[in-house]
Amino acid sequence: MAATDSTKPQARRSDQTKFWFLGPAVVWILVFTIFPLLYALYTSFFSFRFGKINQFVGLANFGRLFTDANLHNGLRVTLTFVIITVTIQMLLGFGLALLLNREMRGKNILRAIMILPLFATPVAMGYLGITLFYEINGPINELIRAFGGSDIPWLSNPFWAQVAIILIDIWQWTPFVFLVSLAALQGLPADLFEAAEVDGASGWQSFRRITLPLMAPVLWLILLLRLVEAFKVFDIPTSLTLGGPGRATEVYSLFTYRTALRFFDHGYAAAQGFLLLLIVSLIVGLLFGRIRSIYQEERN
Amino acid sequence: MRKILFPILSILVVASLVLTACAPAAAPGGGEAAQPATEGEASGETYASVVEAGELVPPIVAQPCEGDACFCKDKTVTVIVNTAGEKGPISGPFYEVRDEFQAATGATLEIVEVPFAEHFPKLMTDMTTGTGQYDTSIAGAWWLGDLVGGDYILPLDDYYNDTTGKFPKWDIEDVQQGPRDLLTYDGKLYMVANDHDGQVMYYRRDLLEDPAHQAAFKEKYGYDLKVPDTWQEFRDVAEYFDGKDLNGDGTPDDGLTMHLKVGGQGMFHFMSFAAPFVIGPDNPKLFWFDPETMTPLMDSPGHQRAMETLIDLVQFGPEAMMGWSLGESWDHFLRGQAALTFTWGDLGALAQQEGSAVKGKTGAAPMPGTTEYYDVVAGEWKQVDGVNKVGNTTGGSWAGVISKFSDAPECTYFLLALMATPEKSEVYAYRGWDGVDPGRFSHYLEPNGTNTIDGYLAAGWDAADAESYTNAYFENFGAKMQFPYLRIPGTFEYWTALDIHLSEAATAQKTPAEALQATVEDFEAITDRLGRDVQREIYVKSLGLGE
Repeated sequence: MAATDSTKPQARRSDQTKFWFLGPAVVWILVFTIFPLLYALYTSFFSFRFGKINQFVGLANFGRLFTDANLHNGLRVTLTFVIITVTIQMLLGFGLALLLNREMRGKNILRAIMILPLFATPVAMGYLGITLFYEINGPINELIRAFGGSDIPWLSNPFWAQVAIILIDIWQWTPFVFLVSLAALQGLPADLFEAAEVDGASGWQSFRRITLPLMAPVLWLILLLRLVEAFKVFDIPTSLTLGGPGRATEVYSLFTYRTALRFFDHGYAAAQGFLLLLIVSLIVGLLFGRIRSIYQEERN
Repeated sequence: MRKILFPILSILVVASLVLTACAPAAAPGGGEAAQPATEGEASGETYASVVEAGELVPPIVAQPCEGDACFCKDKTVTVIVNTAGEKGPISGPFYEVRDEFQAATGATLEIVEVPFAEHFPKLMTDMTTGTGQYDTSIAGAWWLGDLVGGDYILPLDDYYNDTTGKFPKWDIEDVQQGPRDLLTYDGKLYMVANDHDGQVMYYRRDLLEDPAHQAAFKEKYGYDLKVPDTWQEFRDVAEYFDGKDLNGDGTPDDGLTMHLKVGGQGMFHFMSFAAPFVIGPDNPKLFWFDPETMTPLMDSPGHQRAMETLIDLVQFGPEAMMGWSLGESWDHFLRGQAALTFTWGDLGALAQQEGSAVKGKTGAAPMPGTTEYYDVVAGEWKQVDGVNKVGNTTGGSWAGVISKFSDAPECTYFLLALMATPEKSEVYAYRGWDGVDPGRFSHYLEPNGTNTIDGYLAAGWDAADAESYTNAYFENFGAKMQFPYLRIPGTFEYWTALDIHLSEAATAQKTPAEALQATVEDFEAITDRLGRDVQREIYVKSLGLGE
């Protein structure tokens, strides 16, 4: 009985302590996530004039999402960008990780150099791109000419402008896929591969039957992270092409930025934000489901 | 073999990923590195990279104060201005004047530089929240619709008319009528004169005066090679010089240069270009909207012909200009790689600075015109006697406004007035790098104005260039018909729509007619959102049409 009495205040203190630890996180989420979310929801029901709330418009801002051809263009441009960049980054990054996950001279230096673009600011990469892709005697066109090719209108042609932002994004983010894949590859149990080799499995069979299944959860996770980031792309097209020529590279986030901070149509911009949130949430939900099922299969 | 192959492959891939980052800057024209422009530089922030700033500085005008005369003691004046640095356009003069201003008033001057893209949003956020962080903004003239409409800035008439000698004096009557109209809104003074934007045509005088070119041109076109007076003549001259070596470097150059990047101010090109296709003696004011209904006029036959003609000209410039902001286009001309262009006053002055390949070769003239225009009121084309020319004030005309939330409005006005004094303004106009363009009688040579060629020569100008340049601006701003500058709420949004659709037409994503139709649709959506009746009321007022 005495022992029980002495543990009660201790348990209460323990309860209080956990609130001290949780408090900052809760405050952080309330202030920087929940409040902005609720405020954005609130503003999405209003029209704005001179940067101030003008009048209640109900769901009109959400209705505009279905009829705005410029927004649909932004979605299309973003989807194209996401599909191409993430696919190439996944293949290239994982391929390079496989390549460098073996004994070779200078391996560590190569790995360190490989991840350098990851540490550059995306907006700086965009501005650097203006120099690299400069059409009259720019370094890339010079290189192409040196190999007998002709100048490519990187920034003045709608198609090539898309290619330019895709190339820079691939350049920047392939190292991320490489880095995480390599870390995961190095954690794979060596005895499985040794056993497979003893059993006479070819390199391809080992890759197909051991490496890929073991890497699947990590690869799905990388894919998830890259998809979410790619949907939010803003810096590179903004600094490189400003969405042009025309609207050829006007990605969704740039369109929303212009709506909010250039045209001060905050209500509609908030509605656009919720649409992006919905899209990204759907992707996250689907991929999380996939990752969960992989883990469950492994457990079974 | 595999042991060697993998490292080699890895090195190649890594090199392709990394080494390009270390590549030298692009070298257009061979030799000097390019300074590509960005949206941040739009409207006054961009500067040419091929020329040096020079050492010319304006004189001290305000004397240091003592004791109670330091009426701004312990106060701080914060100015927000487009990022360009201490030797950059518009921002540069503030660094020059800082010590003088602080000594004369006792105030502290803080200069906040922000990228162009952030300037208006930051200012509006500051004002809509009533924060008052910025006492003054060096604002674009088209912002007045929003700033005055939202009641965010102070009318300056009382300060301007002050007779106590508290403020440095500048004379609004010295400013030519075109740019002067941009300083006021609804009859009140809101801006202190600074930069005076308007587009004129620049041409290579040495080429037009070359006897060999004159003979060849006449042979081909059947009339004398001369300064283009109409857009048709402009096209002929551009076509003739396109592909010829214009600067003696042995490579073919271009007939013209423009800047048509989205966010690179291409829409200003369209405005000053299209003016004589729509504006004329019987329609001096209607270009943008029908004042009765606020229906956009942008798809009128006049606008369509203007767009078609402009897009036709694109073939005589470098393809890269579809991705250029104005700094890159200026560089192209300053390297001697284009025979013609039309742009702001900066270029004429930049051509005089060290590094320019066209000093002593640069002529300027008012924008060419047309022989007929489409009267949107009558709904028909009308012929004119001679050439239909329309002056313009297109551009930012960057000038100071004072925030309603400033706690030091008098000190702020002192600063802006100090920079507007004729002694300083004159030097600003001589220089190209500071972004302050001419537009005052005191900038023009006699008999048009009060200046003399000696001032320009002392500032390093070529005499013929100076005469041609100042005459062009005098004629442009003094033209009887002026392009109607849009100053209503949402102007930037309207212009962004035009800018984007112009780019679509220039890059063949849309036909000129489709691009203008898309512009009309965007204009309608913007007007509906901002309120058609309110917009119409302000538009009518801004044109001085009355109800």
